[in-house]
Amino acid sequence: MTSYERVLNTIEGKGIDRVSAAPEIFGLSARINGYTIKQYVTDAQTLALCQIKSQQVFGCDIVFAFADTALEAEAVGCRLYYPDNAYPYIVDHIIKTSKDIDKLKIPDPFRDGRMPLVVEACRSMHNELKDDCVVTACVPGPISLAAQLSGLETFMFLIADDLDSVEKILNFSEDVIMRYAEALLKSGAHSIMLFDPVASPAVVPPSVFKDLEAPRLKRMTDALRAMGSKFLWLSIAGATQKILPLFSGIGIDLATVDYVVPISDAIRLTEGVIINGNIKPLSFVTAQPDEIKQIAINCLNEAKGRFILGSGCEMPLESKPENIGALIDAAVSSPL
Amino acid sequence: MIITTVFSIIITMNGYSLEHLITAVVAGQNDRAVSIAEVLLKNGTSPESLIQDGLTVALRSLDAKCTAEEFNLLEIMLAGRAMMTVMDNVIATHLLSSSTIEPVPEKTIIIGTIKGDIHELGKNVVKMMLKAQGLRVIDIGKDASPESFVKAAMLESARFIGVSSLITLTMPFIREIRPLLNDTGLDNVKILAGGAAIQQASPSDLNVDFVAQDVFDAVHYLNGLTS
Repeated sequence: MTSYERVLNTIEGKGIDRVSAAPEIFGLSARINGYTIKQYVTDAQTLALCQIKSQQVFGCDIVFAFADTALEAEAVGCRLYYPDNAYPYIVDHIIKTSKDIDKLKIPDPFRDGRMPLVVEACRSMHNELKDDCVVTACVPGPISLAAQLSGLETFMFLIADDLDSVEKILNFSEDVIMRYAEALLKSGAHSIMLFDPVASPAVVPPSVFKDLEAPRLKRMTDALRAMGSKFLWLSIAGATQKILPLFSGIGIDLATVDYVVPISDAIRLTEGVIINGNIKPLSFVTAQPDEIKQIAINCLNEAKGRFILGSGCEMPLESKPENIGALIDAAVSSPL
Repeated sequence: MIITTVFSIIITMNGYSLEHLITAVVAGQNDRAVSIAEVLLKNGTSPESLIQDGLTVALRSLDAKCTAEEFNLLEIMLAGRAMMTVMDNVIATHLLSSSTIEPVPEKTIIIGTIKGDIHELGKNVVKMMLKAQGLRVIDIGKDASPESFVKAAMLESARFIGVSSLITLTMPFIREIRPLLNDTGLDNVKILAGGAAIQQASPSDLNVDFVAQDVFDAVHYLNGLTS
């Protein structure tokens, strides 16, 4: 059974030979393969090569077409700083006052910022791995992109002070994400992951997720599925118990849960949604491989199906490579 | 009709109590909190009472509300903003000569986002809450080197250092602060750390005295040492 078949069968509730393993390995793949993060996020072939090599070495069931969380905001017009060996970050936000919102232009994924490089990396990964391994492209949720465009602190106060502007920024963000995601799907991505850290109940109350984000996510998952995404994946860190019951209604097939959410809670609170998680990310830095394997086995025992083993959030850049091996080993060696 | 409305407004204004102030602050109602505080002062409530029986109680109420599953940054930020606006725009003007806000070295904390990280929101929220608790907070900003924390602690005679970070890559820099403090003879300075990624670590992982799980965890720790 190929990785692609294993993951798709898991999503569709069909038979599998073993539990799938899909730790969120992004920039870590660059470090493992001897590249800097700056090289990884600025060169399509480096990004694709690092993902493919990591998949071949460790046997992960999913590779990721993703550079960094500031990429979409940069394509819209935010200015970034690029450290050599850490992710780039925004130094100048494009939205400074509500007057800036109407001037924003939706970027062209084939031309603007670094969107074209991820589109190209996506194509390269698909060409190399064909349909043997899932290529998942990652895009932000609307509220997370909106916070990048205006700055998180500004955006948070806008939620309280100027809901009209918030709605406008969210609508614009949704359009940016959909156009980018469509390009990624056309370039070989099998599925889309929406990572949405700002939608976490640790950041905004569940009512904000329910009223502002969930309806947009529903619209987006419907459209992305129609564009050919084999499944829709939502990754939100933190204690998400209050919003998990909404996930099946917004068209999510796979949800990553953080280490603070017990897997049994996640399974109980979602219906028809496959759970991915939930090892504490820092463990991959501090723990030994035998500990990681045991933690992973505990996750598998707790999940009892409806599950893809993962890291609960992005694996830290300084994770020990042998701990990735231990995670995969747990999936391979554990009986169904 | 107009007379009735005016009359009811007067009754409401005169009827404000500290309870109304607490409710407005916890709800993050910035303008309303300021209006109530102004009326309370005008009606004879002392600035000290506004802090002790109003803002501090609001903070405690928020603390009790924020369990691991209920905590969210937005509500804390809005309440923190309301608290700080009342402090800065209303109370500060009445307390210029009061000893309750005099800088006290034992209640001074240096806070900053450590080198390699530029996320400031969490640090800013902690800053608001600690100020509302009466601590003297020196903010050294973001991407701050371990040396700059130690230098600020020395210059300000601070008893505490608060290190914030959202990413694990910064852990080696956090670990450097303790030996630098010891080298400078500041062994008695306590270090606390917090932030989304590093809150997964233990104090020994980070070579600090305390790892806070959220802003109130930090407040409790500091209150335990300063009271």
